[in-house]
Amino acid sequence: MIVFPTTIEETLAASGTIRAGGTELQERRRLPGMRTDLVDLRDTAGLDELRFDAGGALRIGAKQRIADIGGHPEIQYLYPGFAEAAGELATPQIRAVATMGGNLVQHNRCWYFRAPEAGAQCFKRGGSSCAAREGDHLYAACFDLGPCVSVHPSTLGLALLAYDGLVEVNPGGLRPVAALFGDGSDPSRDNALAPSELVTALVLPEPAAGEHSAYFRATSRARSEWPLVEVLARLVIKDGRIAEAGIALGGVAPVPLRAPAAEAALLGKPPTPEVLATASAKASEGASPLPMTGYKLDLIEGTVLETLERAVARDEVALPAPVSKLPRPATDPQPQPEATP
Amino acid sequence: MKSTRRGFLRGTVVGATALGTGCTDRLRTEVSEAPADAPAPEARVRVQTEVNGTARTLDVDPDQSALQAVRDQLGLTGCKHGCGHGACGACTMQLDGTPVATCLLPATSLQGRRVKTVEGIAVGGSISAVQRAFIAEDGLQCGYCTPGFIVESEAFVTRWRAEHGTTVPDRETVADALSGHLCRCAAYEAIYRAVQGACGGRYDAGPDRGPRYDAKEKVTGDARYTVDVVLPGMLHAKALHSPHAHATITRLDWSKALALPGVRGAVDLMDGRTTVRHAGQELVAIAAVDEETAARAVALVDVAYDVKPAATSIAAARALGAPLVYGKRRGRKSAPNASEGPMVPLSWDGNVRGPMGVFSKKGGKAKRALEDATTAGTAVSGRWTTSVQCHTTLEPHAAVAHWPREDALEIHLSTQAVRHCAEDLAERFKLKRENVAVIADYIGAGFGSKGKLESEAIIAAELARVCGAPVRYVLERREELMIGGHRPESEIELSAAVDEGGGLAVKAAVYSNSGVAVGHAVTPMLRILYPEAHKDLEDYDVVTHGPPGKPFRGPGGPQAYWALEQAVDALAHQRAEDPLALRQRWDPNPARQPLYAWAQDLEVWRDRAAMGADKGRYRRGVGLAFGAWFTFCEPKTRVQLDVGPDGVTVSTSTQDMGNGTRTVLAKTVGEALGIAPHDVDVRVGHSKYVHGPMSAGSRTVSSLVPACVVACDALKEELLDDAKDRMALRGAVATDAGVEHQGGVVPWSTIIASSPPISVVGRRPRDKGGWFLPPLGGLAVEKYVSASIQIMQVEVDTRLGRTRAVEGWGGIAVGKLVSPTLARSQIAGGILQATSYALYEERRLEPMQGYLLSGGLEDYRVMGLGDAPALNIHVHERGYEKVPQRSTGIGELVTLAPAPAIGNAMFHATGWRPHDLPLRPDRVLKGLRG
Repeated sequence: MIVFPTTIEETLAASGTIRAGGTELQERRRLPGMRTDLVDLRDTAGLDELRFDAGGALRIGAKQRIADIGGHPEIQYLYPGFAEAAGELATPQIRAVATMGGNLVQHNRCWYFRAPEAGAQCFKRGGSSCAAREGDHLYAACFDLGPCVSVHPSTLGLALLAYDGLVEVNPGGLRPVAALFGDGSDPSRDNALAPSELVTALVLPEPAAGEHSAYFRATSRARSEWPLVEVLARLVIKDGRIAEAGIALGGVAPVPLRAPAAEAALLGKPPTPEVLATASAKASEGASPLPMTGYKLDLIEGTVLETLERAVARDEVALPAPVSKLPRPATDPQPQPEATP
Repeated sequence: MKSTRRGFLRGTVVGATALGTGCTDRLRTEVSEAPADAPAPEARVRVQTEVNGTARTLDVDPDQSALQAVRDQLGLTGCKHGCGHGACGACTMQLDGTPVATCLLPATSLQGRRVKTVEGIAVGGSISAVQRAFIAEDGLQCGYCTPGFIVESEAFVTRWRAEHGTTVPDRETVADALSGHLCRCAAYEAIYRAVQGACGGRYDAGPDRGPRYDAKEKVTGDARYTVDVVLPGMLHAKALHSPHAHATITRLDWSKALALPGVRGAVDLMDGRTTVRHAGQELVAIAAVDEETAARAVALVDVAYDVKPAATSIAAARALGAPLVYGKRRGRKSAPNASEGPMVPLSWDGNVRGPMGVFSKKGGKAKRALEDATTAGTAVSGRWTTSVQCHTTLEPHAAVAHWPREDALEIHLSTQAVRHCAEDLAERFKLKRENVAVIADYIGAGFGSKGKLESEAIIAAELARVCGAPVRYVLERREELMIGGHRPESEIELSAAVDEGGGLAVKAAVYSNSGVAVGHAVTPMLRILYPEAHKDLEDYDVVTHGPPGKPFRGPGGPQAYWALEQAVDALAHQRAEDPLALRQRWDPNPARQPLYAWAQDLEVWRDRAAMGADKGRYRRGVGLAFGAWFTFCEPKTRVQLDVGPDGVTVSTSTQDMGNGTRTVLAKTVGEALGIAPHDVDVRVGHSKYVHGPMSAGSRTVSSLVPACVVACDALKEELLDDAKDRMALRGAVATDAGVEHQGGVVPWSTIIASSPPISVVGRRPRDKGGWFLPPLGGLAVEKYVSASIQIMQVEVDTRLGRTRAVEGWGGIAVGKLVSPTLARSQIAGGILQATSYALYEERRLEPMQGYLLSGGLEDYRVMGLGDAPALNIHVHERGYEKVPQRSTGIGELVTLAPAPAIGNAMFHATGWRPHDLPLRPDRVLKGLRG
C-alpha cells in the first residue's frame, strides 16, 4: 500500500512509514520484515518552505533538498558551518534527492543493523542484544550511552545541535533538536519521534553578531565517506573573546552530542591556538570507549581542533547579509543586529 | 511434482561456493506446479514522466527503484546497477538536469519529471563533447561505471562552461563534482583529463573513435553486459545463502517456496550434503517470473541448522582446539583451489595445510645467515599482515542461460574465460563442446574473480533446463562482496639480513587464509624477486570458515612484497645505504636494469629530504619498491582472420574485460594490413571461435599478438597469390605496405577490397629457445620475469591519521606496448587499485559468526577520484627478445609494488614502519603515538 497525501493533515491521518527522498529508506526496506505501508510525501504541500520567521530565525521546510540548502548562497553566508555540513554529507547524487527532514530521522548505518543475518542480535531490528558490542565495533560509539553502540548517522542533526536549533514537529510544535534524538539510552530507535509525528521543518536561530562556524569530518578517504568523527563548531567572538560556543560531535554516540567541557574551556577566552588546543583536549570528556573505539578519542580531539581553527580563521558573519532573497515576514521590521566590531 | 537429477561433473566448479566440494555428482532439481503467474502485484502506481525527451507512462511498484523501472520497462540498460546504495554512481541519471542516484530513487518520484539517461546524451546520432573526451583520453576500461560518469560529467561540464567558459577546472573541483562515482578499474587519471579537457573545450568537435576499439559503445550505453541481456520469457533466480559459517543442515524443505505462484523451479546446491562451511554458501536457488517473487520464495525455504562453532580468522583456526573446517581426508581433498594453477599435495595439521617449501633456495644457508645476523643484531624481522581484498567488480557475477534444444546450452556469462567455461560446461552437462555457447560481449571487469566456471553459471543453466525457459542469475552487491571473490589475507613472519658475501638472505613463514579454499601461494613471489638470494621459505594455507579466496591480480604478490620490500628498505636504512642501490646489487633481472637510470634521475628520489625531515602536522615521505611477475602464455592460442566483401574480421574465443583485447587485435591486424583499426571487425566474447586465451595472469597479449601476426602473414601470402593471378601483377612480392610489383605497390586494403573470401588461422609460435616450464593446464611459463620500480610520495596527517598518496612514479619494463594509450591506462589503473588496497580496502567478517559486515561499498572502501595521486609512468619497451613480437602482460605486475612503496614512504615521512594493511587512520594514529 502506498498513499500520496497532498496535505500535512492527510499525512498525519495516514498510517505507514513516511517516505520523502527515500535515499535511506529504500535500501533499508530490502531488509527482512521492513516492508510496511508507505506514506509518500511526494505530493504533500506545506513542507517546502524556506524563509525567515518574525524573530529572524531561518525556517527550512522538511522536504527541502539537502543540495539546495548546502548550495544556497545566503545560507552559506549566514550559517557557513551548517552549509558545509549539508554540502559534504553523502554524495552529490544523494544530496540532490535526500531531504533535510529525512536526514534527521534516517536510521543508523551500523553494519550489524544492515546485515540480514544479524536480525535477532540487533535491538534496532527488534532483537534483544547488540552483536556489535561483543563483536566488531570498529566504527561504533566511544560514548557508551545505552545498550546499542551504533553511532547516529545524521550530520544535520549534530549541525543543528551546535546551533541550538529546533525542529518543528506536527503535532506538537517546536522542540529542541536534542529532544528529537533523546539521550541514547533507548536501544530500539534512532529518534524519539512518535509514530504519529512528522518533522515539518528545521529552525536555525538568527546568527549572532561575531558568529563563526565550521564543519569538518574525519575520514579515511578524501570524500563521500561516513565520518569516523564529525564536528560542527559555532563560536561567537566579541571583543576578541569567545562569548558563546557550541560544539557538537557526531560519529561518537547513538545520538549527536554536545561537548560541554570543551565549550566551557573556550568561554571568556581569546581564540588563541593554546586555548583551542586545551578545549579540544576536553571534547571527549565523559567518553567511555569500547575495546575497538579508543582511537576515536584521539580523533575527537583532532577533529574539534581542526573545526575550531577553521571557524576562527573564517570571517565572522556580518549582519545583515549583503544580499537577501529569502522571504522575511512583511509585517515585521527586519531585525536590527548590533553593529559588529 | 517431478524430480529430476542431472549429471554433475566433479571438481570443475570451484570458487564462489562449495559446489565443487561435494563428492556427489548430481544436483537435485524440482519443477514447481504452482500457478505460472505471480499474484497480481499490489496496487501499482501510474507515473507520467519524460525520458530522453519522450513522454512515457510507467506502472511501477511502490518500492521499485527508478533505475529498475527505466531499465526493465523501457529497455534503457545503459545506466547500470552497481552497488544498490548510492555509493558507486553507476546508476546515475539526470532528473530535471540534476544527476541523482537512481538505485535509491523510488520510481514513483519520476512523476512529472524529466529524466535523462546515458542513451539521451548523444543527440541526433552525434555524441557529446564529454563522450568524445572520454573516448579520446581513454577515461574508461571495463566501461561498466562509465555511463554514470558520463551523465554526471555532462551536467558538471555544462554548468562549469556556463559559469567559467573554457577555463580548465583543477583536480579538486573535478573530484568534488564526481565524488559520487567509483571506478573499480581506477581509470581516474584519464577521467581527470577527460573532464578537464571537455571543460576546456578541447572536444567540442572531433572524431568519435579513439584509441580504445570499443570506447564509443561504452560511453553511449550501447555496450551490452551480461546483466543487460533480456531473453523472451526469461525467469529470474535468487539463491538462499547460509547465514551461518559452520553448521549441519538437519532439514531443507522447499515445498512452500515451490508452491508460491510465479515460482517455476528450484535447484538444491547442497544436494544431500549437510555441512555448511562458510556464511554466504549457496544452498538452494529458485527461479521465478520476477526477482521479487524469487526472493520471496527463497525466504520460504524451510532450513534447520545445527549451528557449530566457527573459526573465521587465521588466529582462531590455528588456536588449540579450533573447530576443524575439514575433519576428514575426503573433505580436505574437496577443498576448492584458490589459485590459478594446479595444486601440490601437502600434509595437513588441523586447519593448517603445508608447509610448501619448494620455493626455498639454499634454505640452510639462509637460515644460518639469519641466525648469525640475529646474534649480531643486524637482522630485520617483522610480522606483516594484509587484509582481505574483495575484487568487487562493478558488474557482479552474472549469467543468463537458455537451452535452445535439449542438447544445446547457450549462456551469457560475465567471465574472463569464455572458452574454458564452455569446455567445462560441456563436460558438466555431458554436451558436445560445439553445442555449448558461452557469450560475453562486454564484461564489467574481473581482476581474477571470473576466471573459472562457477556457481552462477551452474545455477542459471540448471534452472533454465529444469524450467524450460531462460534464467537470469545476478549476484547482489552484498553477495558479490561475500562470495564473488577476494585476495586472501596473509600473515608473513619474515626476517632478512645481508649475509657474509654481501648477498641477501631471507627467511619467511607465510600463513594465508583463503577461507575454505587452499592453494594460495605467496612464496613464489618471494622467490622471483632477488632470485639469487638465499631463501628459506614456508607457505601455509590456514583454512577457515570463510568464503573461498580466488586469484586476484598478481596472486600472492602484494602480500609478499608488502613484507619483503619493507624488510629490504629497513636493511638499507640500517646500513645507511641508498635503498635503490642496495636493491640493484641483488637484482640480476635484465628487464629491470634499464629502469635504474630513470629512477636514480628522478628529482623526487634523488633530492628526497632526510628521513623524518618534516616535523609539522603534515609529513611527506618518499618510498620505493620493486615488483616482479611471471611471463605466461597459452601456447594453444589461435587467431582467425577472414577476408570477405565486408572487409577483415579477426576472431578468437577470448574476451575483453576492459583490458583492451579488442584494441590489441584490431591494432595488430590494422598495422599488418595498413588499414585503420576501427575498420577491422573484431569478434571475441564468444566460445565458438578458435582457441583463445583466458584473460588472466597477464597472458592475453603474449598469447594473442604472436598468433595474430602469424595469421596476418598467412593472410598476406594468400592475398599475394590471389592478387598475382587476379590482377596479373608481375614480379609481385609481399611488403609491409602491400603487394609490390613492377608497376608499383598495391596497398593491402585495395587487394582486400576485391578479394574472394579467404580464411586463415594463425597459431602462437613457441618462444625462441622454448619455455621455462612446459605447458601445464594449457599455460606455459616463459623465460622472463617482468619488472617494475614503483616510487610513491605520501603525506601523513599526524592530527587525523589520514595518509594521502600524493604522487606516484611507475617504471615498467614489459617489452613492446601494442597500444601505448591502453597500456598506460592499465598501468595507471593497476597502481591506483593497489594504492586503494594499501590505504582503504578491508573486508570484515563477524568475528564469531563469520557473516559479512562490510557488505556494501560504503563499508568496503575503494579509492575514489579524489584519492587518486597524480601518476608519472615510464615504460621501457626493449628486451624480451625470445617472446615473438616482444609483448608481455601488464595487469598483474603493476599492482604489486605500490603497497610496500607506500609503507616505505610512511617510514621515510614519520619514522614509523607500518606492518598491517590497510593504513587506516586509527592504525596510523596508534603507530605515530607509539
